[in-house]
Amino acid sequence: MEALFPAPVTAVTMGGMTSIVRNQWYVAAYGREIGREVFGRTICGESILFWRREDGSVTAMSDRCVHRRFPLSEKPSHLVGDTVVCGYHGFTYDADGKCVAVPGQTRVPRTARLKSYPVVEQDSFVWVFIGDDDRSDTVPIPRAPWLDADGYTTVSGMEPLAARASLLVDNLMDLSHETYLHGGYIGTPEVANTPITTEVDEDAQVVHVSRHMDDADCPPFYAKSTGIQGRIVRWQDIEFHPPCLYLLHSRVAPVGVLPEEDGTDPGGFHVEVVYAITPETEHSTHDFWAVARDFALEDEGVSDFLRESNRTVVLQDVVALDALERVLAGEPDGYQELSINIDTGGLAARRIIAAMAAAGAEQVPESPAALAR
Amino acid sequence: MTRPLRTVPAGPTATPTRVLDGDRVTRVAWLPGSDRLLGECSCGARAEGGDPIGMWQWLLAHPDHPAQVAEPDAGVAAVHVPPPHRVARPEQAAGPRTPLR
Repeated sequence: MEALFPAPVTAVTMGGMTSIVRNQWYVAAYGREIGREVFGRTICGESILFWRREDGSVTAMSDRCVHRRFPLSEKPSHLVGDTVVCGYHGFTYDADGKCVAVPGQTRVPRTARLKSYPVVEQDSFVWVFIGDDDRSDTVPIPRAPWLDADGYTTVSGMEPLAARASLLVDNLMDLSHETYLHGGYIGTPEVANTPITTEVDEDAQVVHVSRHMDDADCPPFYAKSTGIQGRIVRWQDIEFHPPCLYLLHSRVAPVGVLPEEDGTDPGGFHVEVVYAITPETEHSTHDFWAVARDFALEDEGVSDFLRESNRTVVLQDVVALDALERVLAGEPDGYQELSINIDTGGLAARRIIAAMAAAGAEQVPESPAALAR
Repeated sequence: MTRPLRTVPAGPTATPTRVLDGDRVTRVAWLPGSDRLLGECSCGARAEGGDPIGMWQWLLAHPDHPAQVAEPDAGVAAVHVPPPHRVARPEQAAGPRTPLR
């Protein structure tokens, strides 16, 4: 029975298939990371160069010079106007990745071109499309507008994770682990002991997991930021848009304080926790995290506290998942996992991701040597 | 552009829930005070079960939902004897890797 929901596919598979979902949008960076300097990051196993044109818009292309594969993100490569100049021999590319100058001759070979990636800057993120460019228009980008909106203050960061992305998905889809792994920060006994409701919208491919606690301990993460003393009503509503964007709508209020009949909620404190789960390679992940709040907007102390607290919590997950990746990598076949009720949402997420991976998979590409002339 | 939400009935838990408007929404609720799950398919079929693996199997059989959800531990011996967990690679071996002097 467990075999119908196998453990996530490892890199050691047949036929060149990977576990990374292609033909999807992924968060590559925060907007603030990209400027008028060359910036390189590996996304879904592809080495990509990001930079801003003089008009401020972001462009993305392969991070290897077509000549001898020097990484264009490495010094002394640099920008000149809306071109990037390779630091090794001076090959020069425009903002679409087309080579416009090579050293020592006027003729630029026709294959002197870098793969160019569709890029959208939105909600404080730089999104990049990994897959066939002509499919990028057909795949919507999920939203997290509070990350860049009036009425919210956001703290954010990114931690490198030496573990495959599916482990982070499992981790975030079941918040029962807060009670144990993050006890004393965001975890309290009630989290693991409160029943959950899982809903899947098969058409939209979104997984919702809700846990509403009517009377719970207020963990330091919320007590210190909201000023609430005493017990709380705590609602956690997860909304996961596979493969990348994870939203946690968190509502905290003193026990008994509920939203108004008309839908407004002046008595509640709202925190939007956002994670973007972007594979770096089959076995490593960029763990983008952000916490947006609609209270104490100007309070630097609250911002510092939430930033440090959330970063501590993220690092607790990183340590745990790094250890788990080490024991899973290359493990002999035949091991099964055991799932219990808290895994209902995580299993739904795995299933949707597996279906997306199958839908987005492509033929193993021809070797570069066969294409080179 | 945000997709419209619709409110679905609260179900057996106290959670009012809103989901994206769609025709194929499945729900698994955890009955309070028990270990039982209640599955609801968009077609209206409902069933109770003991673990999420059986529950998802039952839900994904839509529209041909079986009469009952397969229960966990079916076919498992009363006293389950687990196999050892084999480790092949040194980096996966636990514990200190230094000699004891």
